[in-house]
Amino acid sequence: MSIPNIQKKSSINLLDFIQEHAAIGTWEFDTTLSQLNWSTQTKKIHEVSLDYKPNVELGLSFYKKGYSLNKIETLFTNCIENHKDFDIEIQIITQTGKEKWVRTIGTPIIENNKCIKIQGLIQDIDKKTKNSKALAIKEQQLSRTFETALVGMAIVDLEGTLIDVNKSLCKTLGYNKDEIKTLTFMDLTHPDDLRRDYAAMMRMISGKLDHYEAEKRYINKKGEIIWAQLFTTIVRDSNGQPEHFIAQINDLTLIKKSSQKVSQLLDTTENQNKRLLNFAHIVSHNLRSHYGNLDMLLDIIKMDSPETTKNEIFPLIEQAVNNLGETVKNLNEVAAINTQKDLKTESLNLLENFNKAFSSISALIINSETKISINIEPEIFVKGIPAYLDSILLNFLTNAIKYKKINEPAKIEINTEIENDFVILKIKDYGLGIDLKKHRDKLFGMYKTFHKHKDSRGLGLFITKNQVEAIGGKIEVESIVNESTTFYIYLKTYE
Amino acid sequence: MNKIDVACIIDDDPIFIFGAKRMMQLSNFCNSFMVFKNGQEAINNLKPIMNSDEAIPNVILLDINMPIMDGWQFLDEFIKIESHKSITIYIVSSSIDPVDLNRAKRYDNIKNYIIKPISFKKLESILQDV
Repeated sequence: MSIPNIQKKSSINLLDFIQEHAAIGTWEFDTTLSQLNWSTQTKKIHEVSLDYKPNVELGLSFYKKGYSLNKIETLFTNCIENHKDFDIEIQIITQTGKEKWVRTIGTPIIENNKCIKIQGLIQDIDKKTKNSKALAIKEQQLSRTFETALVGMAIVDLEGTLIDVNKSLCKTLGYNKDEIKTLTFMDLTHPDDLRRDYAAMMRMISGKLDHYEAEKRYINKKGEIIWAQLFTTIVRDSNGQPEHFIAQINDLTLIKKSSQKVSQLLDTTENQNKRLLNFAHIVSHNLRSHYGNLDMLLDIIKMDSPETTKNEIFPLIEQAVNNLGETVKNLNEVAAINTQKDLKTESLNLLENFNKAFSSISALIINSETKISINIEPEIFVKGIPAYLDSILLNFLTNAIKYKKINEPAKIEINTEIENDFVILKIKDYGLGIDLKKHRDKLFGMYKTFHKHKDSRGLGLFITKNQVEAIGGKIEVESIVNESTTFYIYLKTYE
Repeated sequence: MNKIDVACIIDDDPIFIFGAKRMMQLSNFCNSFMVFKNGQEAINNLKPIMNSDEAIPNVILLDINMPIMDGWQFLDEFIKIESHKSITIYIVSSSIDPVDLNRAKRYDNIKNYIIKPISFKKLESILQDV
């Protein structure tokens, strides 16, 4: 090929220009002389000085060990022996130690069926490759996220056809992927929700709406209603033209079902509560009037025919009637605590209320020689109803005195502790104790007594527990038989 | 202590009526009784008596829970009768419901609310009141 000198010179400059700006270098390997030549740009790509003199061993040694080196050696040998071109994207390590992606192209020059030269190009594609590799990873991450997300997801085109869906949505709607892709969201939406959702879709396409969120009903493959939370966004291209929708569909069927169940249970409970209230009234009124009649008749007999009362059975009847009256009274109290609504709680000073309780049983305390140590901060206020707190304190105090050790006076210690929004009132007595292994379950039950005490009726703790719970507290107990009993009474602090 | 001339019992419970009458006799509470089984029967009979100046009861012992016309309905009718103020009314009920107790306070005619059972003591205190 004959090229005029000037042209040749300018074309060399052009070649340099191209080499530099496209980051492409040239190289040439003379197989007969075993000589390797690199262009300036090739040297720049390898980050060697411009007076660097490469040879084939040095040239190959730049390729990264492992895949890149093996590959280039194979291709190079193949090119010389079998005259095959190559074009490969692999990595080199530059003189300065930088890892770099390059595209290496080699083509054999054949003379007399022998490869005398390989001419080639080397291009720095590091930036481009790294970017596209990162993109590929991101794409993979995204598609995995899409596929395995717990929430149902769909890509929907502007006509409403489901272009792609994930596993979760298939499961929710009961179709497989291929079936669902032949359907539109209109096919899957409950007819009653269709108009609203379609209008939203149109508003998103026209740009009036950026995303759309709704609780809606789908119809699954079996024709059942599926309640779901839908969140749709529209994806636009760089010119703002709508491309497709991305929809997230969260299956709410289970939640709906369980909330229905909860509200049914609530209804049932309310109903039962009403019946219980009714029952409490019947018990309270009817039992009371029968007891009243019996009591009145006994009164009359005593007056009318006093000789009857000498009969040995009469006192027993009288006792039975009195017990009945007591039971009815207790039942009424329990019913009153449990059926009262809108209790008006107020701030009550714990120490003041304790002192009040003491003074009302001061005779009992003095006569029984009870020793009491109180340790209550004067600034503790609890939330409660005065009558309830009064009855709670009295009950624990009288119990502690009542169930003292037989031959020694009662000893009571009272302490408090604050825990979160509770005041824990600790009432410890060194009395008979309670066998909690046997009695824990029955401790606060109605008519359960553990001590053979003449005043034991077993309703005290039951009523007390109800009162404590009615003002938002609870009771815990620890006890060792013949040693001590500690009641922990949790009362709400007053904010 | 004044003896009451006529005492009126309005109650649907025959045992209570028997017992109350017996107690009143034994304690010499009154000279005679009027007994009605519910509010309606009481109104029907009391109205003509009160309008005709016959021997009207001095005291009415009124139950609350009764069939046909209960104690409250009776009271609402009763206060429409002109001479109703001359008669003292006691509620005698087994109800301890605070709703009933408070409601009784709203009637001027009601002297007191007696919770059953009645006893000689309670009759005595009525006698002192009247």
